[in-house]
Amino acid sequence: MANIQIDKNEFKRLLGKEISDKKLLEQASYLGAHWHSIENGKAEVEVYPNRPDLLSVEGLARAYKGFFGVQKGLKDYPVEKGDIEVKKEESVEEVRPYIGAAVVRNLNLSKKSIESLIQLQEKLHKTMGRERNKLAIGLHDLSQLKPPFKYKAVKPGEVSFTPLEHEKQMSLEEILEKHEKGVKYSWILEECDKYPIITDADEKVLSFPPIINNKLTEVDNSTENVFIDVTGKDRQTVEKALNIVATAIADRGGTIESVWVDGKELPDLYPEEMSLDIHYFRKISGLSLMEDEIKERLEKMNYDAEKETSDSLKVKIPAYRTNIMHQYDLIEDIVIAHGYGEITPELPEVDQIGDQKGIEEFTSLLRQIMVSSGVLETNTYFLSSKDKLFDKMESERKEIVEMKNSLTEDYSALRNWMTPSMLQVLKNNRHHGYPQKFFEAEDVAVLDDSPTGASNVRKLAYIVSDKEVDFNDVREVLQVLERDLGEDFRVKADEKPFLKSNRSGDIFIDGEKLGFIGEISQQVVENWDLEKPVAVFELNIDKLYELIY
Amino acid sequence: MFVKLSTQAIEILEGLKKEETKSVKQFTEEGFDQSTVNRAGLELEENSLVKIEEEEEIVYELTIEGQEIIENGSPEHQLIQRLKNGAKQISELQDLNIDVALGKARSKNWIKIEEGEAYLTDQGRENLGTDQIRIRLENQDYAEEDIERGLVRQETKKLRRLILSEEGKKIDLEELVEEFNVEAHTETPKTGKKHFYKEVTDYARTTWLEMGFEEMSGDFVVPSLLNFDALYTPQDHPARELHDTFFLKTPEKADISEYGDKIDHIKQTHQDGWTTGSKGYKTEWNEEEAAKNILRTHTTAVSARRLHEIDVNKEELPKKLFIVGRNFRNETVDRTHLAGFIQTDGIVVGEKLNFKNLKGYISEFFERMGYEKFRIIPAYYPYTEMSAEVQVWDEEDGSWLGAGGAGLFRPEVVKPLLGFEATVLAWGLGVPRIAMKAADIEDIRELYRNDIEILEETPIWRPDK
Repeated sequence: MANIQIDKNEFKRLLGKEISDKKLLEQASYLGAHWHSIENGKAEVEVYPNRPDLLSVEGLARAYKGFFGVQKGLKDYPVEKGDIEVKKEESVEEVRPYIGAAVVRNLNLSKKSIESLIQLQEKLHKTMGRERNKLAIGLHDLSQLKPPFKYKAVKPGEVSFTPLEHEKQMSLEEILEKHEKGVKYSWILEECDKYPIITDADEKVLSFPPIINNKLTEVDNSTENVFIDVTGKDRQTVEKALNIVATAIADRGGTIESVWVDGKELPDLYPEEMSLDIHYFRKISGLSLMEDEIKERLEKMNYDAEKETSDSLKVKIPAYRTNIMHQYDLIEDIVIAHGYGEITPELPEVDQIGDQKGIEEFTSLLRQIMVSSGVLETNTYFLSSKDKLFDKMESERKEIVEMKNSLTEDYSALRNWMTPSMLQVLKNNRHHGYPQKFFEAEDVAVLDDSPTGASNVRKLAYIVSDKEVDFNDVREVLQVLERDLGEDFRVKADEKPFLKSNRSGDIFIDGEKLGFIGEISQQVVENWDLEKPVAVFELNIDKLYELIY
Repeated sequence: MFVKLSTQAIEILEGLKKEETKSVKQFTEEGFDQSTVNRAGLELEENSLVKIEEEEEIVYELTIEGQEIIENGSPEHQLIQRLKNGAKQISELQDLNIDVALGKARSKNWIKIEEGEAYLTDQGRENLGTDQIRIRLENQDYAEEDIERGLVRQETKKLRRLILSEEGKKIDLEELVEEFNVEAHTETPKTGKKHFYKEVTDYARTTWLEMGFEEMSGDFVVPSLLNFDALYTPQDHPARELHDTFFLKTPEKADISEYGDKIDHIKQTHQDGWTTGSKGYKTEWNEEEAAKNILRTHTTAVSARRLHEIDVNKEELPKKLFIVGRNFRNETVDRTHLAGFIQTDGIVVGEKLNFKNLKGYISEFFERMGYEKFRIIPAYYPYTEMSAEVQVWDEEDGSWLGAGGAGLFRPEVVKPLLGFEATVLAWGLGVPRIAMKAADIEDIRELYRNDIEILEETPIWRPDK
């Protein structure tokens, strides 16, 4: 997702219609771009990844012309046949194989329109271009250049030019090491021994994609003719981005002229066609619109549509639209044009009785018993660390579910037991009065031989702390569970590294081990910066459920 | 002269007889209930035995940010410690509370940043020794800037003080006639209680059950296949990057062979649309990438798994399914962000379903959760078409509140998982704002801090409260 800032007056001028801020904020988001605010003449608009064509004020104005009914249907962008050529050399195949290009002539660019184009370029780099890896765009003042152009890959030290934002000539290698943009994007070329460049007939470098352009060709308000290059790793993405940029610039009053790229004439602004099954539309949307109503709504979204068969429409898709992969995408746009707000909620007949998971029902029952025993329920983090789960518990570290890329050590593993979470709760409440009693019935994750290698296990933990606490203060609550469930548990003495010697044991039912019970050792109490003694039990309630149901 | 007084007032008067003056706070520290003392005080004042004076006291309380500084040191001091042995790339310091750390360290002139690298200034080096802020907070010796920075909360509390009047001094306790005061408060007993956030999620669960939905379940660890690929999220989608999703060191990869031919169908769907009627993304698709384990980032991964099971078990349609579950995002935790969150996902699978029905279920759910007004606006998710953001109207704030996403699963999702075409209504909704409002908290971390006072004092949530 990307947020763009647009000049409100520019938007209204391009839209060709007066519209109040209030109406924009209330209604414009129903097109599928989120209008967050309008302040001091600037509007903040959030654009979704399926609509990169809306990443400029020109693109937004074009879309809203249709949506607000100023100019509906497919917008025609005439392309004049040009004779400028870009030759692609074999050497780029391994590095950055695709290039697209176009020319827009007779421009009269204002400072604001240049700002908008730069924003469009940057946002496309970030979103559709995946930080310039998948695509990078260059805009050049054509008057400084002599076609034909060449797209080739050269050795890092072979070529030098003066990049934007710098005064001195630098080699490609130096640019990657020293230029701000070079440092930021050098990772894209990390595994390449040659780097891509675009040169003109005099071997002058226009651009070192995806890093930086030559200072010489910088576009300013004296620029009349713009040469656009788009390079990347995916043909479809490159050509779509070229269409988005070329049409946005043309909306400023220029004429698009084609360029011959490796034998192909670009930009290809010919609309793609897709069939829309009218019955399918009605079935999925629940809207019983007539054929001409569907057509009208398509035109509001800048499509053209004509009758194909008695049950289908042939839809022409603007060449700057991406992500129209299935007629589902057309259906969505028809419903958007119709208005999400106009959809009447309707519940279908689906005969089914509510059915909860047995373990969830059992968990609710246990929580009920714990609450009636006078214990407060907690809600703790599932993410933890080996330090908290083992070291602070005086237990030996072992393998657990552990993350590769945590931002902090505190959230670097999934907890494999509950007791550390409960000790954290006591720590958070040190400033309150005692006794303190807490419980939680939640999931932990353990490694096992399931297909992923890890599964959730539901546990119940109870913890108590007071000036004086002993084994019986936890044993009594375990007995409430036994009484209310009508089951008998057995506790057998067993030593644990985190529990006091002679005050610890395992809990069994029918000879199966369910968990442990005991007084927390003095060392562990100190590790958690606690001042008062603590006792605890923890049960595997997945296992308990299995055994008693 | 005989004076009639309640038992509680007599107790308070006895307490005052010894010391002549005592604050309400002193009484509560001795174990009296605060409202009992206040009422008894008023009763004694009415009988001219006591005078009540009000005084103000300023109390300070550490915020979560403040507590964190006591535990780990201030972010700027942690930062300069890390730069002690030389400059570091900002990207290497992301584990710190980096925005605050950089901002503060720069304004104090401790560091400089050049070309994405931070290094110490001389002034920064001088400050390596002691973390002044941490020391101040530890000693409760707060400065004005600590309050401005939101490390300490300052509150003015009204304190009442009871002073024995001349008459009160003279009165003989023997002369008092005890009279039971039914109007007086007594102490509220300590009880067990469910967590306020779970009250809300329990309510959501019950609501789905009442609406006839069957519950789903699933593990936190899932292969990327379920969380992303089966949900038609391309392998180069930004959500799959390291800063959004927790990838696992252990267990690193899943065995996805149980999905059999479906893996190939998913692959083809991404590449050219397979037989779904789609053109596909026309991008590379790598099975290794799909086998990488992650912590699920949405419960929609459970819905995807369930679609697969419907096929495996040859279950009959239509079917309504839901889950309330935890999900994880690799985010820096602060006042408004957590690395984990609870979401409720639902799917309805069948032949005769449409967009109106989707809106119908969501509207029914939120109505039952106490929201009278809701709306959907267009949004984008890779796995739904007619994608919608769900918003509810917050009467108190007078604004629309984001409450999750919804849509119809794309054919590119349904056919490979289910094996045939069907309509699937789907949503993923969140309720933390409801819980935060119920407990009157603004810092989202409070949902997980379990402060006894908040646990005890928060009324049990119900939709019209």
